[in-house]
Amino acid sequence: MTTKTSLLKVILLGDGGVGKSSIMNRYVTNKFDAHLFHTIGVEFLNKDLEVDGHQVTLQIWDTAGQERFRSLRTPFYRGSDCCLLTFSVDDNQSFLNLGNWKKEFIYYADVKEPEKFPFVVLGNKLDVTERQVSAEEAQRWCQESGDFPYYETSAKDATNVAVAFEEAVRRVLAMDERTDHLIPTDTVKLHRKPRSATTCCS
Amino acid sequence: MAADSAPKVIFEHDGVFIQPSSDEDGIEQDLLFSGSLRIVDKYGEIMLEYKPLEDTVDSSSMLCAGKDSSSVVEWAQCPGDKPQLLETQQSYETEWDMINAVSFKKKPCTNGEGSLNHSNERSRWAFSFSLSDLRSVTVKEEGWSILHFKLIESSSSPPALHFHQGGSREFLDSLRRFALLSESPDDATCLLVSTPNKALSQSFENLMDDNNYTLAGKLRREPYLTTMGGFSKVTNYLFDVIRGTEEHQQRPPEEVADLLGEIIPGLEINQQEEPGFEVITRVDLGTRPQVRRREPLSAEEWTKHQDQEGRMLNVPHLKHLIFKGGLCHALRKEVWKFLLGYFPWNSTLEERKVLHRAKTDEYFKMKLQWKSVSEEQEKRNSRLRDYRSLIEKDVNRTDRTNRFYEGIDNPGLVLLHDILMTYCMFDFDLGYVQGMSDLLSPILYVMENEVDAFWCFVSFMDQMHQNFEEQMQGMKTQLIQLSTLLRLLDLSFWNYLESQDSGYLYFCFRWLLIRFKRELSFQDVLRLWEVMWTDLPCQNFHLLVCCAILDSEKQKIMEENYGFNEILKHINELSMKLDIEEILQKSEGIGLQIRRCKDLPNSISSILGFDREARGSDPTDPESPPTVRAPCRQQDANGCSNGHGHLRENSHNNSCKVAFIS
Repeated sequence: MTTKTSLLKVILLGDGGVGKSSIMNRYVTNKFDAHLFHTIGVEFLNKDLEVDGHQVTLQIWDTAGQERFRSLRTPFYRGSDCCLLTFSVDDNQSFLNLGNWKKEFIYYADVKEPEKFPFVVLGNKLDVTERQVSAEEAQRWCQESGDFPYYETSAKDATNVAVAFEEAVRRVLAMDERTDHLIPTDTVKLHRKPRSATTCCS
Repeated sequence: MAADSAPKVIFEHDGVFIQPSSDEDGIEQDLLFSGSLRIVDKYGEIMLEYKPLEDTVDSSSMLCAGKDSSSVVEWAQCPGDKPQLLETQQSYETEWDMINAVSFKKKPCTNGEGSLNHSNERSRWAFSFSLSDLRSVTVKEEGWSILHFKLIESSSSPPALHFHQGGSREFLDSLRRFALLSESPDDATCLLVSTPNKALSQSFENLMDDNNYTLAGKLRREPYLTTMGGFSKVTNYLFDVIRGTEEHQQRPPEEVADLLGEIIPGLEINQQEEPGFEVITRVDLGTRPQVRRREPLSAEEWTKHQDQEGRMLNVPHLKHLIFKGGLCHALRKEVWKFLLGYFPWNSTLEERKVLHRAKTDEYFKMKLQWKSVSEEQEKRNSRLRDYRSLIEKDVNRTDRTNRFYEGIDNPGLVLLHDILMTYCMFDFDLGYVQGMSDLLSPILYVMENEVDAFWCFVSFMDQMHQNFEEQMQGMKTQLIQLSTLLRLLDLSFWNYLESQDSGYLYFCFRWLLIRFKRELSFQDVLRLWEVMWTDLPCQNFHLLVCCAILDSEKQKIMEENYGFNEILKHINELSMKLDIEEILQKSEGIGLQIRRCKDLPNSISSILGFDREARGSDPTDPESPPTVRAPCRQQDANGCSNGHGHLRENSHNNSCKVAFIS
């Protein structure tokens, strides 16, 4: 009766206001609030799903996008299994910054083999009519940066959001089969700090 | 985006001698090597490096290898100095590689082995190790100081250092900035070293100092970061267990102290006069007094405190009433201007009119500045462009359910935008940082006037400025202070948080950055802020508010055995579920409880400003004159009254000396 569940940590990165929190909320709660507060600090939500027969708990981390808060978000990059680089199709600057986000992630997440790390790129706000970034441009960037999968999403009308997360999971699972993630859940409490007897002081 | 930086030399002292042991190497008995001792901050890892004097090497241009030897980093003599790259770079590099290899842990390689021209007799004795590997330092005095190092996980030790030319005290003082040195119970000359509790100073350095990162060798110096990654990945399970025990070895004195504090009732704290030392201890706080809150101040009471010309009378009493009950909403528009310092309490109505006129002029001058920037100009001004872009985005995401800001074309949104843009011209260095719209929104809501809201916001920002600065010094300070307070108030909870690597209270970040703005309902935020702005009953009352909330959540967190992630999630999810009157009542009670305590550690007194009161007047006494709030800006950190000035001292205080007095 042991079902194998993987806990995968996914992190959403991108400029302030591209819709990171909205994408997370749409995916986890299937709700959209156009007037959601901008994120201060760091938040995360969990979502259970099944991908190709694998039970997965996705832990989605959402951070404040402003440069100033870099030192407060970067510690949370460690241990990420996948990074969702997010921009907004109506904001060219947010697209131009993707490279910086990728760099920042690789630098602070201490990724062992950056060229193999699963990035997924999201061009959000597909519902907005005035585009500043064309799909071709975005595709090209993804191609050149490491053949990253690219999804045009809309957190507002739910377009491609679930698909993008599922693809992220697939990419992670495909990475060297990831057998190391598959630990029976009935033996290990997920994301609980293991404490040895010697360190216990309470 | 990744910051490049050179290692920082924190301490350097020449004329430190070693005496190579004679037996195994056949070196003459009396041979002494003089050399240079350094403490170097290499991307957040504190290294001790000793290098015998080499005539051929110019130390100012030395290059040294990172711990893993894969990343060669430059050793800058002083921060900001561009290190010179010599043509001989390769040889220095190799030499330092060799030094890494020829560590005291291994037998020194023989001369014959090295084909390097620099590997002479002396350089064999160079050594370096990470401070986190240091177990203890024993200090002997023989007319000069001799320091013996003992390392964790090593049977051999580096050679003793002889400070023939002084400097040992300075060296130890420098070490204390990064580690806790506590006298061994068995041997007073032996100082046990432990990395300061991760929750405090060092963690913050690691957490917040961008310069401290490098790709190599992070694990040892960023244990809790590693752990955070570990939490999120079952794959790191094993690693965590290993690290856990290792870490345990690194910080026994502290844990012993805390454990003892738990076990031995009435363990006393003693405060040393020496700066940088504070004894960890347990103080008997006694019971927490029950306090009663009052009704909000009425308009009638307010006008009773006003003379004919409009001067406010008996301000301390007035403030006391506001502290105890807040303000009825109709009064806020007027009273907040006084509370925030925009209007002086002793000004007449006439003077305030004059002031208001001048401030209106000043405001619109600044507003005109950004209003008159043409599109072409803005194309060449990336900072202004960035500020504007972010302000536009955030204004659309601030309190949009509030009637003042709801809908698409609400004039409240335009005002919010314009005031934030004008603030950029008022303080272009700071500009706009996320969170500032949260601070402005309630003020604008209350003022319903662009100019007044701006100047009140400016006053509030004076208090909050450091939170938003590049280095976020205000946040670091407050988190350290909060941790210090919590440790005094509730050692077992503090220990629990520590055990979950949450002792640095990151989860309180949002509370502190924007003063609970996102945690409470809009009306409750108004109440909390006006209470806080009275500066009663002590300095940094908002930290006691944090303690009060944590006190209410403690049971749940501990009973459910929440780990790092769950604590963060739990605290984040408290938002909009808190009861302000209950919190204020508890916070005030905690304040009284601490104030009544006789043997309060200095660090606590200085956080809460009791030490300053002792020299001045007691602000709880409604009859005494009000405490003066000094303008608090980064350049005058020591003179400011909200506790920021104590930062340095407090973070040093966290390098504690443990003493047990029974």
